[in-house]
Amino acid sequence: MSGSLDSYLVLSGLLFAIGTFGFLARRNAISMLMSIELMLNAVNLTVVAFGAFVPALKTHAAVIALLVIAVAAAEATVGLALVMAIYRNRKTPLVDEYDSMSE
Amino acid sequence: MNWSDIGTIAPVVASVLVAAAILIVDLALPNRRQAVIATALGGLGVVAAVILLQAGHAGSAFGGAYSLDNLTVFLDAIFVAIAVLTILFGVDYIEPRGLPIAEFAAILVFAVTGAMLIAGSTDLVLLFVALELMVLPGYVLAGFARRDPYSTEGAIKYFLLGSFSSAILLFGLAYVWGITGTTRVDGVAAALAKVAAGGSIQPGLAMGLAFMSAGVAFKMAAVPFHYWTPDAYQGSPTPITAYLSVGPKVGAFAIALRLFVGALGPLRADWLPVVIVLAAVTMTLGNLVAISQDNVKRMLAYSSIAHTGYILVGLAAYAGGQHSGLSAILFYGAAYTFMNMGAFAVVAALQRQPGVSSQIATFAGLGRRDPWLGALMAVFLLSLTGIPPLAGFWAKAYVILAAVQAGGWLTALAVLAMVNAAAAAFYYLRVVVYMYMREPAEELRPSSPGLLFRVGLGVTCVLTVVFGLFPAIATAATNAAGVFGG
Repeated sequence: MSGSLDSYLVLSGLLFAIGTFGFLARRNAISMLMSIELMLNAVNLTVVAFGAFVPALKTHAAVIALLVIAVAAAEATVGLALVMAIYRNRKTPLVDEYDSMSE
Repeated sequence: MNWSDIGTIAPVVASVLVAAAILIVDLALPNRRQAVIATALGGLGVVAAVILLQAGHAGSAFGGAYSLDNLTVFLDAIFVAIAVLTILFGVDYIEPRGLPIAEFAAILVFAVTGAMLIAGSTDLVLLFVALELMVLPGYVLAGFARRDPYSTEGAIKYFLLGSFSSAILLFGLAYVWGITGTTRVDGVAAALAKVAAGGSIQPGLAMGLAFMSAGVAFKMAAVPFHYWTPDAYQGSPTPITAYLSVGPKVGAFAIALRLFVGALGPLRADWLPVVIVLAAVTMTLGNLVAISQDNVKRMLAYSSIAHTGYILVGLAAYAGGQHSGLSAILFYGAAYTFMNMGAFAVVAALQRQPGVSSQIATFAGLGRRDPWLGALMAVFLLSLTGIPPLAGFWAKAYVILAAVQAGGWLTALAVLAMVNAAAAAFYYLRVVVYMYMREPAEELRPSSPGLLFRVGLGVTCVLTVVFGLFPAIATAATNAAGVFGG
């Protein structure tokens, strides 16, 4: 294995930061959903990196990564269903136009 | 895994079976709503019996990932009560709008299963999976009226900010696990105890703890992580708002108890200032914004943020060395559950006919039009204000007392909590003034809720009054449940 744990953690930290930025900067609900997926996958990279470089964590890491993938899939399902439901009502995916309740 | 593990998590297993049974009954007997409601209520009765059978027992399952103790039993009982009340309140609202009652009941029971799993989780990964099981059905419930633009709008905001905060929480968990090398809550506590003794903390671990705390603060809707709350609460169908305002909230505090007290207990002197600031900002801002709201659902949403602040005072008291802060949190959780669900239920009763708004004008003249509903709403609002002899008074009193006993900066926090409680009286009593002293602009018909709904209102009202007159009934349970792990 080349590289060190730190370089993988920096990489996953950058991915997480890009996801966070995307979530905060994008107006499209689908893009925001993609940003959240990016954040969850950054977490997965962190988990797998810890598992690869710390021998005691190897089995843990595989299980946690699988659970995170399952949770991310469930979240994407619910999220896409909600985006479709609101698109039928509003005919727009842009979240800053969902402002009927703020006063 | 063995059979005794299954026995330890019996309430969770029973709850999943109830949700499955609801779906099967709906499939086998379509359009028989009574059968579905009977299955849901009967099944939840069985779950409640299983929980009561576990009272007083202790144990752990799956190698220490799940713990059965007094805290688990207490929280499980609250969650089942929340599920039963939501179904009682939901039927009258869901049916006139043509929404499917079986899906509503099944999704709700799945959500409550997640909450019950949180209550017993003593493992970071199990805690996260249980949290997701609680919140994912919550997003679906918020958008349950899928042709109603408000409902879907509230749901999408709840979902986006909710899963954003889940990702932040998970990122924190990954670092805490990677550096301490364990996912068990007691293992993390042992690792942190070494840090507390040694004096220096690794930057990665500190970052992980910070991310984890931010994620939990999002879930409990503490300022500045509260932006999703008003829209999610206002947009959701009202009985579901009643659920969202208590179920995920008590669930978030269950996480806080397991995580902050169980795992982060050794470092509590370090996170004390953070909790003090969070509590102060949360209750003050929640109350200030609630004052200017004209929509009662939105007003109650901001009031629920303020109540998060009061509950955080209990957590701060624990961090300040006063263990009674934990029992105070649990008492507050129980009292808040019943009075807040009751208040939302009255709003739901008024909105029984589709098209009635939750603006404060709807409440004008309610005292004459519907004397019973008006009186109940007055009881719930006075309890939320904290007027003796109602449950809300003792809830605030115990939290503030624990803070005063801890002393130091917490005395100032206790004073701020009292000032806030006084300020909150303004917007709660404003609704009472509308109910009894204003003439309605248009004559609305009295809403005559069904039998199930009346039973639910009766139960919440009786508990609000009984916890107020005889707080010792509840404090016996909360004192026992407040002693666990950390």
